[in-house]
Amino acid sequence: MKNRLFIARAVSSVLAVSGVLVGVAAQAQDIVQFVSCPIYRDADSGKKSGCWLASDRESGARYDVSKSPTKPLSDHAVLVEGRVTDESAACGSPTLDPVRVSVLDMPCTPKMLPAEGYPGRKFVLPKRNVRPLTEPRSAPPKPFAAKTFYLFFDFNRDFIVYQLDDYFLDRTIAYIRGVKASKIVVTGYAATDPMEISGQEIAENDRIARIRAEEITKALVLLGVDPDKIETHWHNGAKAVDVVDSDGLPDSSRRRVEVFVQP
Amino acid sequence: MQIRNSLYLLVLGVGVLSSAVGLLARESRADKPSTWWAPNEGRIFPAELDYKDSSGVTRTLLTDGPIDTKGHPFFTAIGPNGRACVTCHQPADGMSLSARTIQERWKATAGKDPLFAAYDGSNCPDLPQAERKSHLLLLDYGLFRIARSWPPKDLTGKTVKPDFDIEVVRDPTGCNTNKKWGLHSDHPSVSVYRRPRPVSNLKYLTAIGFAYDPKSGMPLSRDPETGKPVSGNFMADSRVNTLVEQARDAMHAHLEMMGRLDQKQVDRIVDFEEHLFTAQQVDNVGGKLNDSGASGGPAKLADSEPGKLGDQGHAVWSEFAAWENIPKNAKLTPEQRAFRESVARGARIFRERTFLISDSMGINWPIGFGNPVRNACAFCHNMSQMGNDVAPGQVDLGTTTLPFADPQPDLPLFKITCKDEPHPFYGRVIYTHDPGYALTTGRCSDVGRITLQSMRGLAARAPYFSNGSAKTLRDVVDYYDRRYNIGYTEQEKQDLVNLMSVL
Repeated sequence: MKNRLFIARAVSSVLAVSGVLVGVAAQAQDIVQFVSCPIYRDADSGKKSGCWLASDRESGARYDVSKSPTKPLSDHAVLVEGRVTDESAACGSPTLDPVRVSVLDMPCTPKMLPAEGYPGRKFVLPKRNVRPLTEPRSAPPKPFAAKTFYLFFDFNRDFIVYQLDDYFLDRTIAYIRGVKASKIVVTGYAATDPMEISGQEIAENDRIARIRAEEITKALVLLGVDPDKIETHWHNGAKAVDVVDSDGLPDSSRRRVEVFVQP
Repeated sequence: MQIRNSLYLLVLGVGVLSSAVGLLARESRADKPSTWWAPNEGRIFPAELDYKDSSGVTRTLLTDGPIDTKGHPFFTAIGPNGRACVTCHQPADGMSLSARTIQERWKATAGKDPLFAAYDGSNCPDLPQAERKSHLLLLDYGLFRIARSWPPKDLTGKTVKPDFDIEVVRDPTGCNTNKKWGLHSDHPSVSVYRRPRPVSNLKYLTAIGFAYDPKSGMPLSRDPETGKPVSGNFMADSRVNTLVEQARDAMHAHLEMMGRLDQKQVDRIVDFEEHLFTAQQVDNVGGKLNDSGASGGPAKLADSEPGKLGDQGHAVWSEFAAWENIPKNAKLTPEQRAFRESVARGARIFRERTFLISDSMGINWPIGFGNPVRNACAFCHNMSQMGNDVAPGQVDLGTTTLPFADPQPDLPLFKITCKDEPHPFYGRVIYTHDPGYALTTGRCSDVGRITLQSMRGLAARAPYFSNGSAKTLRDVVDYYDRRYNIGYTEQEKQDLVNLMSVL
């Protein structure tokens, strides 16, 4: 009897979500951006399979933001930027993909939902992952050309995001080594121009561009780059860039470091 | 003197294990009336050394063959207090030191063994050394005093400016408020009390699997002496990162040596340590741990390549996978079969029984796994064969820090006040018995982070956790169960205990 009730509840949840989907489907491919308190749904399909949900207060829509490289902390608000998809089976809300979550310095009341029949998402190694040192990096093809690499950051943070920026950094250092770079220019950017999101004015602090640039410079030196070959710059008021690695998310692309490599 | 393994095998093969050669190549507890290795004994350290422990036999291999320990710096009392490295890294205790052995030494020597040296073998050097209670933390919990200079210094010796204040709230040992040894002395120090880590299987702890430390978001640190990247996986607070520096640190901190080890001494110590492999070899109930397709014991450790993630190669503790399906006609007693099946289940539980991990720095933050995150023991204990973290393993389980720590009235309690950003989980004010990694980095966000423990040879070296707060392996499992509200069944708990007892 218990099982039957549970299934009925789960089906009803799915139907309710389907109703939302009709509305959301029309906006598919749209980018949403909002500040919200996150909700953890305790789905269990093994390791890292729980769901992170967040609601856009203005539209009333709840989204699955679990695919973000950075996941929320349950007692902190998050800034969400992502592209709406039609997929909602895993966690019960439309999935944002690609999506970036930034943990904000704003308290939230932790909220956890039961799985309610949703399976969550079985862990799959993200395509952007750093390979073990035992796996050789392929040498860049000749002729060597000057090239710019991009690393993207969470809001107001300089942390090299796991399974995103470490991958970009690994590619960057492989190129620097492969072309025996003669000069490297590291430039940090910050989204210091205020934007109104979810009724709040959001802007990065005016020190973070410099901190980001210096952190990446430090990282390159730790990876063996001659510090005399590195120039470090920073700029506030960053504009968006549209490059493959920015995943088409314009506002998160403003929070970046560019590494220009001259062979 | 070096006698290679091949000679040992040859000797075994022809079955002429004379007592002389046998002593060189293999020693068992029955061969010696005492399991204690005192400094300057001049014994031969054999290629294979077995000792009985709480649940069977622990075996240590010296893969470069036996050595004569006479004059060897690991076995020689180089400093003035009469201790050698071997004093606290005993072969019978999995190259660490159990509280049981410490208590036996107290009884056998009326507390006169150099093990009980005032500097770190008592609660504080100023205490009356003949009294048992002055050595309570060592005797009851297996804890040595570690005096960390405050503020900390980085690997190059430069003073680190901490982002937190530290105050002494409770000082049962008297050492942190002591005029000579305390926080406000001429040489300000924070005294914390920790278990000695095993000096064995070190190729796993020094192995580098990836170029980056995902917990710090940066590439691995480099050894200032060699310029090479370091694993960041040994010493509770990662205060040094190479075996060379660890040997030097120990000479000063535990042997009270005033001078510096010469290069030859360092090389001999490190060379010896790098060839040691220790693991449980036999279980009293389960029998040989490398039987019926299993590959327990230290030989597998010696032969395997370190630094591999379990989910990219050999699953963690898959050494016991063959015991998942023991043939019906296997010649085993019912107890033996049941134990082996339990070990195999324990290995699966370790890898696959997920639970919600929350409020643990190094796991939930700053790496982006989220708080909470669902995962299993093998999330952090992820290296094949060894179960340490392939990435630098500084994680806060809460064993030393309130509110998660169990009551520890015999340990000092510190109040940490974060001056800049508050700690993401504890807030601006933190109460801790041991700030751990924060005593190295000076960061309040690192309070309570302790480098993951080695998981091999556990049966020989209770108690557990850095502060000895778990007297048994069951206590370890129970702590995790409480800390993360896991809800293990009794069977799951026993399976995990059985697994850990055979590692």
